[in-house]
Amino acid sequence: MQDDTRQGDLLVILRHAPHGSSWLKEGLDVALVAAAFDRRVTLLFMGEGITALLEGQQAGPLGQKGTAPTLAMLEMYDIDSLLVEKRGMEALGLSDEQFMLPVQGMDADRIAELLASHALVLNF
Amino acid sequence: MLLHTLNRSPLSPVLDQALAGMGPEDRLLLIEDGVIGALPAQQARYASVAGRVYALHEDLVSRGLLALCDEAVRVVDIEGFVALTEECERTVSWY
Repeated sequence: MQDDTRQGDLLVILRHAPHGSSWLKEGLDVALVAAAFDRRVTLLFMGEGITALLEGQQAGPLGQKGTAPTLAMLEMYDIDSLLVEKRGMEALGLSDEQFMLPVQGMDADRIAELLASHALVLNF
Repeated sequence: MLLHTLNRSPLSPVLDQALAGMGPEDRLLLIEDGVIGALPAQQARYASVAGRVYALHEDLVSRGLLALCDEAVRVVDIEGFVALTEECERTVSWY
């Protein structure tokens, strides 16, 4: 049984920024649904998707919901494996002290391994 | 003088297309995901239009980016956006 569970581990890659499109929101929704069905879920933030982690986000100018409240709920769904592409963080000049949740930085060469080691990879 | 609006982040190739289309006096207004370009670490990407880069206040606020905005980027609100469209002959959208 343990092996089956591991084979069902899900990697969700989040590459889009909050508010600009619904991609980030949809990726997070998939992660929450999978976790609710007892999948082990890992989130990988890449590129502009990393800005989703920034503190101090708000609703959009027209009252559109942001994604920060969803990120705040991840712990409740036992999603605590939050990975961030280091190169993307450097490109945007961000550091994990500016993030609302604790994350683990990933070197570029570890990312391919990460994709190879997950049976399920969903790219948003 | 034209106003160019850009709703893509500096990590997008669309920025290069917008920059290629900009004349020597044209202004660049960053909106939606474009405001990620207001981060200090990305200013080199906008070197060719330095001093002519604007970012929309409302979009910076919703993304938690207002406090992180580079000093060289001029922050304008929606009324400032309207004023820019008045000052410029035409507006071109890059998306």
